[in-house]
Order: sequence, then C-alpha cells, then structure tokens
Amino acid sequence: MTPLALILAEPEHFSLVEKLLLIALTLTSAALFWRRFGVVLDKILKSRKDAGFRIFPLWPRVRDFVWEVVLQAKVIKQRPLAGLAHAFVFWGFCAFVLVTLNHFSLGIGLGFLDPSGRFGRFYFYFAGAFALACAAGILGLFVRRFLVRPKWLGKKLSYESGFIALLIFLLMATYLAAFFVTDTSPAARVLWWAHTLSLLVFLPIIPHTKHLHLVLSPATVFLSRGGFSKIPALDGDEDFGLVAGTDLTRLVALQAYSCVECGRCTEHCPAANTGKVLNPKEIILGLRGYLNDLGPKSDRPLLGKYNPQEAPFQCTTCGACEFQCPVGIEHLPILVGLRRGAVNTGAWEDDYGAKLFLALERGSNPLGMPAAERDKFIEKAALPIFDGTQEYCLWLGCMGAYDSKGREIVADLARILNYLGVSYGVLKKEKCTGDAARRLGNDLVFQQLAEANLETLAQAKVKKMLSICPHCVRTIQEDWKDYGTPPEIEHHSEFIARHLDRLPQVRNQETVVYHDPCYLGRYREVYDEPRAVVKAAGQLVEAPRSHERSFCCGAGGGLTFLGEETGERVSQVRAAELVATGAQTIGTACPFCNSMFRDAVAGNEGAPQLLDIAQLAARGLPDRGVS
Amino acid sequence: MKIIVAIKQVPERDAQVRIDAAGKWIDESGLQWALNESDAYALEEALQLKEKNGGEVVVVSAGPERVGTTIREALAKGADRAIHIDCDDLGSRDALGVARLLAAAMKPENPDLVLTGLQSEDLGLGQTGVIVAELLGLPHATLILQVEKTETGLKVKRELEEGWFQSIELPTPAVLTIQSGGNKLRYATLMGIKKAKTKEVRRVTASELGVDGAQVVVLERIALPQKQKSTQMLPGNAKEAAATLVEKLKFEARVL
Repeated sequence: MTPLALILAEPEHFSLVEKLLLIALTLTSAALFWRRFGVVLDKILKSRKDAGFRIFPLWPRVRDFVWEVVLQAKVIKQRPLAGLAHAFVFWGFCAFVLVTLNHFSLGIGLGFLDPSGRFGRFYFYFAGAFALACAAGILGLFVRRFLVRPKWLGKKLSYESGFIALLIFLLMATYLAAFFVTDTSPAARVLWWAHTLSLLVFLPIIPHTKHLHLVLSPATVFLSRGGFSKIPALDGDEDFGLVAGTDLTRLVALQAYSCVECGRCTEHCPAANTGKVLNPKEIILGLRGYLNDLGPKSDRPLLGKYNPQEAPFQCTTCGACEFQCPVGIEHLPILVGLRRGAVNTGAWEDDYGAKLFLALERGSNPLGMPAAERDKFIEKAALPIFDGTQEYCLWLGCMGAYDSKGREIVADLARILNYLGVSYGVLKKEKCTGDAARRLGNDLVFQQLAEANLETLAQAKVKKMLSICPHCVRTIQEDWKDYGTPPEIEHHSEFIARHLDRLPQVRNQETVVYHDPCYLGRYREVYDEPRAVVKAAGQLVEAPRSHERSFCCGAGGGLTFLGEETGERVSQVRAAELVATGAQTIGTACPFCNSMFRDAVAGNEGAPQLLDIAQLAARGLPDRGVS
Repeated sequence: MKIIVAIKQVPERDAQVRIDAAGKWIDESGLQWALNESDAYALEEALQLKEKNGGEVVVVSAGPERVGTTIREALAKGADRAIHIDCDDLGSRDALGVARLLAAAMKPENPDLVLTGLQSEDLGLGQTGVIVAELLGLPHATLILQVEKTETGLKVKRELEEGWFQSIELPTPAVLTIQSGGNKLRYATLMGIKKAKTKEVRRVTASELGVDGAQVVVLERIALPQKQKSTQMLPGNAKEAAATLVEKLKFEARVL
C-alpha cells in the first residue's frame, strides 16, 4: 500500500497488554458515565407519572422526531448558521456510529469493516466527508461561543464546552489523519489510541454537562405532549399543579435534564427582553437544580430558592420559548403549572390578580363590567339573538361586548355577515371563557366558567361559533375539552379569508403592517388568512419579527389584567417596532393586541392608525353602520 | 378567639331581577346567587383576625338548600365550620325574624366576636346585625373598616360621613357590622374548595331553634325602580360648557 492511497490506516496488531488496557479503560469510562447518568435516570423515573400521557398515535411522534431530530429542521430554521454547524456535528456523530463500533472491535481483534474492501472503503469515505463537515461545524461553534459570544449563551464562558469542542475536533482530526498514514507506521497506532482516548474521555463528560442533551433530547422530542401549550388535566384531588418536587412529572424532569442552555427561549421571550425577572431558560435550569439538590420526592416548594415566585407570573404565555426550543421542552405547561401550584393553593398574593379572580367569581367578565352594558351594546348594534336557527353563534367575549374598539370590530364583522347573508346570533348571556384564569393557573374559576358556558351553549343548541378574539377561540376549542365537548369555532380572520372573493374590495395604496397575535399564530398556526384580508385592502408590510417569530403585544397570560410594573412595557417595544416599519396602518386580528397598541401609541404624533382586519375588510361594503 | 360570621346569599349583581306574581318578592327561578358583598368583607376580617390571633371562624347562614353553595365558598376561603339554618321563608321574614334565627343559632356557641356585613344587597335594611347584638345582649358597633384585638377587647375604626373616621374601643364579646372595602378580599382556591368538602356544616331548622315566623313588619309590595333619562345638552364652547357642568355637578347632582 502506498502512503497516499487514501485508505484508512488501522494498526495491524494489538498486544494483550493493549487489549486489556482498552477493556479496562472502556469499562472505567462507561462506569464514570453511568455513575452520573444512572442518577439522572433514577430522578426522572422516580418522578410522578404523567397521568394523561398516551404514546399513541405514534405517527405525529415519528414525524416530529424525523423533522426535529433527524433532519435538525427546527435547529437550522430558527438559527441558520449555528443551526447548520450543529447539524453537521450531529450528522457526523450519526455517521460515526458504525465507524466507532468497528474501531473498538478492532482493538479486541474483531474489526468487521475492511478499509480496502468495497463497502469499507465507501463507508470510511462517507464518514470522512461527515468528519470534515463536523470538524468545520465544531470549529464554527467554537468561534461563535468564544469569540462572537452571543448574549443568549450566558455571561459566563463555558470552558467545559470548549473542552468538549476540542475533543470532538480531536476525534475528527485523528480519524481523518489516519487516511494519510500506513497501517504499519507507528503513527497509525498513535492516531488509533488518540481517537480512542478522546472518545473515552468524552463519554463520562456527557451526563455531567449540558451535553446530556445528546442522550436525552431525542427521547424528549419523541415523548413530548405534542400540540402547543398543552396544559395537562389535574390528576386527582391532591394535584394542584406544580407546588413541590412530588408534583414534577417524568416528562417535566426529562425536559429539565434535556436543556442544552442554548438560550433560544430567552432570546425570544418578551419578559426577558424587557427587563423582567422571568428568564425561561433559568426556569428550566431552576427545576433541574431542584431535582439535583432535593430530588422528585421532596415536598419543599418549587418556587422560592430555585425560581423566584414572581418569575412565572411575568409570562405572557406568548409561547415563543416553547416554539423555539430545539430539544422538546414544553415551557408553557411548566410555567402555567408553577402558576397553578401558587394560585390553586392560595400562595400567590397579588392585588390585581385577586381583583381579577373575584370579578370572575362574582360576575361574568374579567373587566368587572355589569352585564347590562353588554345588553345595551347588543341592542344598540342590533345584533340578533341566537335562537338555534342561525348558522353561527357569534361569541362576543369581554372585549367584543365591553371594549369600545372591540365593539367596533364586532359591528364591522356583523356588517360583513349581513352583507354575505350568513345567519348568526349572539347569546343573551355569556360568561368569560376563562382564558385569563386558565393561564394564571386558577383551575377553580376556570372550571366553573367552562362548565357554565358549555351548558349554555348546549342548551342553545349551538353548532358553529365565530369569534373576533384568538384567546376565546383557543380557550373554547382546546382548553374547555377538559370539561366537555365545545362546538366547533373559528376566528373571524379564517371566516373572512374564506369569503374574501364575495366581498367588494377597494384596494388602495395604504401600507398596512400586520401583527401576528400569539394566540392566532403560534397557537393556531393561522398566518396566511389575515394576510390575505390585509392584501385585499392595501399593501402588506412585514414587521422584522413576524409569523411564528412574532413578538408579543404583552397582553396574554392574564397580564393585561395584572399590570406590568418592572422594566419596559412589552407593548411599547412591539408598537415601536411596528411604527418603525413606516406603515400607515397597524393591522391586528386580536382585540387585546389592539388595546395594548392603542395605549402604547397614544399621544404619539403621526402614529399609524390601528385597525382590525374585520375593519379593513368592511371598508368596501356599501352601507355604513348597522341599520 | 371564636368568631361567628353571619353571611347572606343574595342575587348575583348582574342578575336581571323580576317581580313574582304576588308582587311581594322577586321571582327566584333562573337567578344566580352570590355572597353578599359586605358579608364577604366581614368574613375576610374574621379570617385575618384568626390568622393574627388564632381561634376559630364559624359561618352562619339562613336560607333554603341553595345557600349551601355560598356556605361552601366561605369554608373554601378559610372558615372552619358552618351552621346552615334551613328555611325557605326568608323573603317573608322581617329583620327581627331573621335576627332571631341567627341569634338562636349563635347563642350556644358563646362567641367572642360576631361579625356581619353592614347591610344586604337585596333588602338593604342594615338592621339585622344590630338586632342580633340586642338579642344576644352584647355591645355593638356599626360601619366598621378595621378591627384590632387589644388586651382588654377590641379597637375598631368606624366610617363616618364626609371622609371622617371614628376610633372606638369596646369589650368582647361584641357584635360588629362590617363596611365594604376595609380589607382586600382573597380569592377562592381549588385547594380551599377541596378542603371545604371535609368541613362540618350543621343544619338546623327554625323550629329546632325554637323561632317562629311572626312578623312585626309586613312587606306590602315591591317594585322595580322607574327608569328615567334626563340627558341635558350643555350649550356654549368647551370652557363655558365645562363651567356649567361643574356648576350642575356641584349643586344639582351634588357629587362634587
């Protein structure tokens, strides 16, 4: 064999001493790995079982696994450069499974791939290509972490990550270098042992560092609850949410140990970006710290030492964190779970929160308005009462019934319905859907509201519902399922988009920047319909952060009722971003977003006008006003 | 300290009230019910006193079966046990008749303190608490916003008119009627509701208490308030209109 035949060199013979040394070192490495990994696994398995967990249907799990793990699509899509570098390292590792098996088998005289054979030669080249990509990838990630230093990775430099990067680079380098030496040269032996030692040092580091995600995150992605912000039903009379270690479920523990600390959640979090205490990454690491120190059988509170109580209550439940997470962590069930634990036991004391809950306990809406105001609006806007003969029940919600802007949106939607000749009616009485109570973790109030509404709708024989509020739509369709079967419901953007060709359109040159509401976008995956409505009325402008990366208006998760005392206001940050696009109009599809922006731009000279997409769509209608 | 709180279930504030066929009471069908607001503040005061000084909070409520939900709510918020005076003639009883029921149920308990709301949201008589005090032979104070336990008894803050307050001391046992707004109310929790299921609710009837339905005051007729609209358009420019508005608010509406 000539030195430049580019065939992987393998040492020809291993002495008995070498073989024994290899076995001893491998066993030591594996033992060191297990000494930590066994503990982690034990903590996960000793956590409480997830009551509602079902492994079937398998198809969505397989689909997500292939998309997110095998293809690394989420990792790449949301952070293309770093994501691609990571993907190369991951795919390199996958390609190396066979190489590594052969490598160790060779050491005990059982090598099964022949470097000069047809398949062996092909496969070693194949792995070589991945090794090149992997080496380049890890180099890129090293440069990013230690020279570029994005703030999401934390202020402290992680030297262990540097060491791991060095080991991965060594693994690839020692493999690639073996193509340029001969089997008989001492260099082949040196490279073989260097490769072996790198691997054996690497293995025990995995469970001690965030590199644990290598082992856990494929399982985490596969086993995730699925859906978006899926809040599990409480399990029996003793379950009040996440109060103490004994409430942490296996899924929560698995997710806590899977966090790779990439900080994507924090990068996109409206609270973390406006100077609040909440940092979604720290929430997860706080739970991990709790599990490490106290374990899943502890009855010490989860909030306090490991996570400040105020943190989860600063969450707008926008879901940017959960959407971004590449390792399958479901932040919202955790954040809402912590709120449930504090609210269901009465540990959370907050003047605004108590006022909101009392308004929902005693009245019909979170705004604390008398129901007679709703009756007056229905009369004034001449909205028909639902009597079971109409096609749609138009759900007003608190904003549609009591807020001046919400009422305008409802009135314009009514004009559209009238024009299209679609029959509809509103309920004589409505109670709040319980959205804010649900997100704030008040299961008592939420259950009472959901049950009362479900009964009203069943009595009225409602089949199809329509609403201007993405929060109502989500809560009715998904969250009420815990207490019955809600009628089918759709958001008005979907309805209007479907009937757009039948509506008279006066398209003009007006530029409209569309803001994706979290509960319509990330929660419901409705992105195109409202845009179609905007495009029919004017020129669509996109904000820098749009679609699934849209930045929250600050209202969700009950925060619109709590006030925002620390840091900048989320609404002002987002409104400034929308105003900076230079658009003449801000188009919204959620009455809460609308009201947040109304306050944020109030008093600004030359601020763009604020219109809901229903108002844009109704502009071309012949008659003004509702008869 | 053993505290008894008398609570009343009243129609929910948003309820659309109709008058029944006899014209002597409201039509109760389809109504939703809630805890009388100032009673909620009385309960809150009792719970806070208990949290500070220890003791027991017992709620007493008179009314038919439906009153049970309001009793549960009080237990869920932290009351220790309850006495339900089972009667469905509350609408035809006068303040003395209701006070007799409450006092008869309270007497064997020998409370250190009795709290009631200032008045009910439905009848608004504002007498029940005071008559209970008389029947129990205890000193009382009304319109109370704050209660503080002292070595000899109680120190309380009374609300007077025009933003004036009065601070008085009185010995225990005593009866206080509580004004709304003195404390921040707590919300009911899931854990509270679950715990409430195991708490004692003792049911007694009027005859078991030895109280008859004799009336001193007879209710003749009830009527819904007349709706009247008196919109006035104020003429002139903004400045003149504002001046007229202030004038009218001061001297006609007397709200300034």
